Amino acid sequence: MSNTISGKNLLRPTGLQCKNLQEYLKSRPPEVLNKLYHNPPICLAVFRELPVIAKHYVMRLLFVEQPVPQAVIASWCSKLHFEEHQKVVLILNELNVWKEASIPGGLPGWILNTTFKKNLKIVLLGGGKPWTMSNQLEIDSKPRDVAFLDSYALERWECVLHYMVGSQQQEGISADAVRILLHAGLMKRDEADGSPVITQAGFQFLLLETALQVWYFILQYLDTIEARGLDLVECLTFLFQLNFSTLGKDYSTEGMSEGLLTFLQHLREFGLVYQRKRKAGRFYPTRLALNIATGQNKPLSRDPEKEGYIVVETNYRVYAYTNSNLQVALLGLFCEMLYRFPNLVVSILTRDSVRQALKSGITAAQIVGYLQQHAHSKMIEAGPPILPPTIVDQIKLWENERNRFIFSEGVLYSQFLSQTDFEVLRDHALSTGVLIWQSERKRTMVVTKAGHDDVKKFWKRYSKGSS
Amino acid sequence: MFKMSNEIETSLLIIVLDVNPVQRIIKQETRILTQCLDSTIVFANAHLMQSSNNQLAVIACHSDGAKFLYPCEKPVEIRQIDGQYEKFTMVERTVRQQLQQVINEISLDKPLNGESLISGALTMALCYVARLEREKIAGEKIYSRILVITASNDSATQYMNYMNIFFTAQKMGIILDVCSLDQELTLLQQGCDITGGNYLKVPQLSGLLQYLLWIFLPDPNVRSKLVLPPPVKVDYRAACFCHQELIDIGYVCSICLSIFCKFSPICTTCHTVFKMPGPIPIKMKKKKKTIDIVH
Amino acid sequence: MADEEEEKEEAIKEDDHGLLEASVADIIHNAKRKRQMEKKVGARLGMMRHLYIILDASESMSIQDLKPTRFLCSLKLLEDFIEEFFYQNPISQLGVIITRNKRAEKVSELAGNSKKHVKEMQNMQQIAPTGEPSLQNSIELALKSLRLLPSHASKEILIIVGALTTCDPGDINETIQNMKTDSVRCSVIGLAAELYICKRMATATGGEHGVALDDKHYKEQLNAHIDPPPAATRLDAALVKMGFPHHALHSSANDSTMAVCIHAENSDESVKLLSTGYLCPQCLSKHCELPVECRACGLTLVSAPHLARSYHYLFPVEPFKEVSYSGTPSTCYGCQKILSQKDKKVYTCNKCNQTFCLDCEIFIHESLHTCPGCATNQDTYQRSTDRI
Repeated sequence: MSNTISGKNLLRPTGLQCKNLQEYLKSRPPEVLNKLYHNPPICLAVFRELPVIAKHYVMRLLFVEQPVPQAVIASWCSKLHFEEHQKVVLILNELNVWKEASIPGGLPGWILNTTFKKNLKIVLLGGGKPWTMSNQLEIDSKPRDVAFLDSYALERWECVLHYMVGSQQQEGISADAVRILLHAGLMKRDEADGSPVITQAGFQFLLLETALQVWYFILQYLDTIEARGLDLVECLTFLFQLNFSTLGKDYSTEGMSEGLLTFLQHLREFGLVYQRKRKAGRFYPTRLALNIATGQNKPLSRDPEKEGYIVVETNYRVYAYTNSNLQVALLGLFCEMLYRFPNLVVSILTRDSVRQALKSGITAAQIVGYLQQHAHSKMIEAGPPILPPTIVDQIKLWENERNRFIFSEGVLYSQFLSQTDFEVLRDHALSTGVLIWQSERKRTMVVTKAGHDDVKKFWKRYSKGSS
Repeated sequence: MFKMSNEIETSLLIIVLDVNPVQRIIKQETRILTQCLDSTIVFANAHLMQSSNNQLAVIACHSDGAKFLYPCEKPVEIRQIDGQYEKFTMVERTVRQQLQQVINEISLDKPLNGESLISGALTMALCYVARLEREKIAGEKIYSRILVITASNDSATQYMNYMNIFFTAQKMGIILDVCSLDQELTLLQQGCDITGGNYLKVPQLSGLLQYLLWIFLPDPNVRSKLVLPPPVKVDYRAACFCHQELIDIGYVCSICLSIFCKFSPICTTCHTVFKMPGPIPIKMKKKKKTIDIVH
Repeated sequence: MADEEEEKEEAIKEDDHGLLEASVADIIHNAKRKRQMEKKVGARLGMMRHLYIILDASESMSIQDLKPTRFLCSLKLLEDFIEEFFYQNPISQLGVIITRNKRAEKVSELAGNSKKHVKEMQNMQQIAPTGEPSLQNSIELALKSLRLLPSHASKEILIIVGALTTCDPGDINETIQNMKTDSVRCSVIGLAAELYICKRMATATGGEHGVALDDKHYKEQLNAHIDPPPAATRLDAALVKMGFPHHALHSSANDSTMAVCIHAENSDESVKLLSTGYLCPQCLSKHCELPVECRACGLTLVSAPHLARSYHYLFPVEPFKEVSYSGTPSTCYGCQKILSQKDKKVYTCNKCNQTFCLDCEIFIHESLHTCPGCATNQDTYQRSTDRI
C-alpha cells in the first residue's frame, strides 16, 4: 500500500471505452429512442442485440395485443435461470422495448412498445414505407464485385490508420476526418507544432478489430453530427439500412435529403460505401458498413481481412505473414523486429518490448486480443487454446509487474495535537470504511476522497464538543 | 471487451415442408396449404432475424420428389417495395417462386400418392449439413437442426430410410424437430426422441405460426432455459414383418434381424431355414447340422 | 528384429519426396474402397456377434514404435473401437482378455454395454506390460465362455499381439482345432511382424490377419472388425425370442419400483434409484437401459431402433458408378454443391441416375446408408424395404 496522495494524472490508464449499441441507445433520451423506433431497420438492429431470452420474449409477444401478466412471462423461463430472466426484464425496460401496463383485475403486466412492435412487424412481414435507398435502378453498366469492394474498403480504412501511426505511405485524409480523430481523443495536437499526434487511446484503438474500430469511430462521429447540422435520427436510420444491405448490390441515392447526401460522402471517405462519382446516383455498401452494429462480439464471417497471419511460438517468436506496413507497424508496438522478408516478418516478444507497449497505455489483454484475432488459421485449427498459454501468462505477468502500486485518491490528515484526537478520528474513519492508511507513530492518516466530507464534519463536531 | 472473437457460432435451420397435394387436410380445404406456407415463411424469417449468423434452408417434398427451395442457385434480383428487410423479401420470393415450379413439375401421369417422401428430403438435408461442416472455416461452429412440417402419415414403407437418417443425425449432432398438422406420427416421434428434438402435433391449425414460434424457434441450447412442453412417451415397440402389428415379445431372425410375431420355420426375408426351437442348446455342439442356403 | 523391419518395408514405398505418409494413406484408401466393394446386397452376416479381444500385455508392448507405447496406443484405439463396435452392433457382446507373464487374465466378461468396457480400458493404463504372452492360454480362456453360446451366435476372437514369441503349455495346433470345431473365427493384428502361427490360426478359422504399419493403419485394421464378418456358412440360423419393452416414463401408480441398473451395480457407484425405465414384457422387472438381458427371466430386451441400426449391413447402398464430369447436371443432388470442372469425377447411382459429388458419395456409403436420389423417387424409395 502506498501513502502517495495521488492526483488524477497518476491514475492508471483506463481502457478505451467503446459502447455497444445497447449502451449507446440507453444513453439517449427516451424521446430520441422513441423517434428511432419509428424506423424498421433500427428496431431490427435493437432486436438483434438483445439477449437470447429477450428475443424469444419479444417474439412471443409480437402477435399479442393485450398486456401479459408479469407472472406469466416469468413462468416462461426455467426456474434455474431466474437471474437471467431478471436481467432480461431490466434490459427490455431500459431500452423501452416494453412497458408496464396493468391488466384488468389489477395484475401488473407488460406490453410491447407499440411503435417498436409495429415496426418490427414491418421488418418481418412487410408493409410500411420502403427504405430510403431502395429505389429502382437501371442495371449498372460497370457493376462492382465483392472482391473489388473489399479491397476498396480496406484501402480507405487503412488510409485512416496509416495517418494515425504516421507511417510513410501517407495519403491525405480530409480535414473532417482529422477533426473526428481529434474529437475522439485518438489523436491530439502536438504542443510544439500543432500537428496531430497519436494518443494512448489511439494506440489502443489501433489494436482493436476492424469492425470495432469502425463502430467506435462512427460513435464519435455521431457525437459531432448535430454540430454539423445533420439530423441524428435520419443518419442513424440510414446507417442501419446500410447495416442490413446486401454486399455487392447497388442502391439508389434518389430521394435522399441534402443532409443524408453529405453523410453519404463522409461514409464514402472512410470506405463504408463505394461511389464511382459523387453524383453517380448509386452507391455500393462495403463490408465495413455491413454488420456495423454487431461489431461488439460477432465478427464478420468470412472476412478476407480476418485471414489470420500471425503465428506465435512458445519461444516468444512471432511470425507475421504480411507485407502490409500497417500490420508490421502495429506488431512493432509490442514486438521487437528481427527480420523482414517480402511476405514475412519475424519478431520476438521481449520484456522490454512489451513494457514499452504497456507504458504507452496498451493493456496486456489488448496485446493478447490482437494476437488472437489475427492468429493464423493453422493456429486456430491446432487450438484451443489458440495462443501458447505460457506466452499469454508471461505477457500478463509483465503487466502485473507494473501494478505493484495501487493508486487511490485520498486526503491526508496530520499534525494531530494529541494521540486521543488521532485515535478518535481514525476509529471513526475505520468504522465508516473510508480509511486508506494510518500511522499511529506519525499521527497521520489518509481517508478516501469520498469519505473526506464526512470525516471533516465529524472532526468539527468532535473538536467543538471537546473544547 | 475482448471476447474470443475467433469463434463464430452459426445456427442452421433446415425446414422440410410437405407440400403433397393429396394430404387429407389439404384435400378438404386447399387454402390450408397457402396458410401453412405463409406461417412457414414467417417462421423461417423469424429464425434469420435472431442473428446475422443464422442460416436457413427450405426443402419441399411430395410423393414423387424433393427439392431445395432455398437457398437457390439463381438468386432473384429484388428491390424492396415496402419496409420489409431485404433478405426476408428474398427468402419469401425465392421460396414462393421455387415452390410454384415444384408444383408445376408434379407430373399428372403418375397416380398421386398419399405417401410423402419425407425421408428423401431428410437425406438431402443431411448431405447439405455434411457439406457445410466440410466447408466451414477454422473456429466456426455450426449448430444444425431440421424441422419437418407435414400433414401426411408416416408409413412403415420408409422405415429403414428413417432409421438410417435418425442414427446418422444423432451421430452428427443434428436435432430433428417434427411438427405434425394432422395425425400422430409414431415413426418421426422416435426420430425426435433419438436426436433430442421436439415433437408437436398442432392442436389447432389456425395458431400454427404461434406454435412454431413458441416450440421450434428457440435454438437447442436455449431450450433448456425456456419452459417447453415435456417429452412425450415414445412407443418403441417393434412392428412384426408379417402382420405389421406392434408386439411386446417377438422372434428375431439371427441372420437378418427380421422380426416375427410367431415362430415360423423359414425366414421370409432372407429365406433362411431355422432349426426347430431345440430344447437343450448345449447339445448343439455335437450335432452340427449344416444349413447352407444359396440365394 | 530383422524380419520385423523386412515385413514393414515390403508394403511401404517412399514417394517422390522420400516420404512414407502418402503411401500409407494409399493403402488405407484402397482398403476402404475394397471393403465397400465387398459389401453385397443381402449377404448373410452374423449379427449377434460375440467377440473376445485378446490384448498382448507383454514386455514387447512397451516398445515405443507406436506413440507413446504400443500398449497405451492400443488401449486408446480400443476405447474408440469399443464405442464404435456397440454403436454399429447393438445386440452384440464383447469381452477383453490380456496376456502377460505367460498367463491370461480376463479383464471383462462378455457383456453388451460399452461403458463398463471403456472403463476397464482406462483402468488398464496403470498396468505395466511385463513378461511373455501366451496365445494358447488366452485362447483357451476365451473359448471356455464362447463354447457355451448357442450355435446361431457368431463367435469371434481378435488377437492384438506385439510380441514375436509365445509361451504355451501344450500344442497350439490342438487349440486351433478346437476353435475350428467350435466355429470360432480368430483374427490377428500384429504390431511387430507377421508370425507364421498367427497367420495359420487366422486362415484356418476364416479370420483375417494383418500387420499394422503405423497408428493410422492400425486404427484402420481395427475398424475392419467393426463391420460384421460374413457368417460362416456352417453357422446355424435360429429365431431368437426377444422382448420389446415399453418406455416406462413416469410409470403409473407404483412409482417406487426400482430400476435395476446393472451398470451402476457392477461398478463402485451405488445402485441408482430411477423412476423411469423399461419394463420387461415377460416378468415386468424394470431396467434402466437397453439393450439388456433381463435379470429376472433372461429374455433379451431390445428396442426396435436397436435392431434397425444394423439393417444397413443387410441392405447397403450399391456402389455408385464413377464417371468423369461432363458439365451436367450443374449441382450435386445431395449437398447442392455447384459442380465445376474442378470435380473431375462424379458419381451416379445406378438405380435413380442422380449425380453426386465425391464427398457425398463417401458420406452416403459410410454414414447415411441411404441414397437421396432413390429416397426421393416414388419408384425406388422402397429399395430395401419392400419386405416391410
